[in-house]
Amino acid sequence: MVKKTRFYDFTYYNFIGSWAWILHRLAGLALIFYLSLHIWVINSLTQGEAVFDQVMTFLNSVPFKLLETGLWGVILFHAFNGVRIVMVDFFKGSLVQKKLFVVLIAVAFILWALGSYLILSHVQWRVG
Amino acid sequence: MNKNFKQTSKAGSLGWLLQRISAVILFVLLFFHFIVYHFITQGRTTTYQYVLARAQSWWFPLLQFLFLLTALYHGLNGVWSVLEDYTTSKFWRLVWYSLLLTVGTILLFVGTLTIIKLYTLKAA
Repeated sequence: MVKKTRFYDFTYYNFIGSWAWILHRLAGLALIFYLSLHIWVINSLTQGEAVFDQVMTFLNSVPFKLLETGLWGVILFHAFNGVRIVMVDFFKGSLVQKKLFVVLIAVAFILWALGSYLILSHVQWRVG
Repeated sequence: MNKNFKQTSKAGSLGWLLQRISAVILFVLLFFHFIVYHFITQGRTTTYQYVLARAQSWWFPLLQFLFLLTALYHGLNGVWSVLEDYTTSKFWRLVWYSLLLTVGTILLFVGTLTIIKLYTLKAA
């Protein structure tokens, strides 16, 4: 009798690849949820200059800018682990997949810090 | 072997390949998107005039449409491959697939409408 494996069975999470796999999925699901909202909201912003700039000023407050750095982080994780997946699938990356993960996530982290600095530098501390 | 896996085919292999091709396209376009709208915003916020100025060249809307198309395909095909892992019944696979297709069509329509609207609006 073969035991059924489940994604929430944590005995399989002794490996970097398992974590990369589940986090890639969760990040992807979060991103398609965000994308749906994003497409919808941006459409409602085509009503004119007053509405657009008002909403953008609102979104330039501290909480939303912090969420934006979070979004940037999730995107970078998904994108750079995605590079690892493409390298494993097409360029024999499986031989060095653990090293690839560490190196690519390090690059992603540097880009996250840089981007977050730029995002937070646009914060409007006082509205109005 | 599970009786649901009797009918094997290569039907999923195109989705697998397109998922990787769209990933590579998105990798480039998403960085471009973040640089344009999140990093360089000429002053404090992305303003209406800033968006309009970019939306009204001939190449930018085309790139935006490619971005919309690949992002939606990649995202919804990704959800589909997750669902495929846990849904073996033919009925539920059809339900989920139809639902994703509907969501995709609506969002593609809404997004395309935004691009056309921004392209045709009069800049002040």
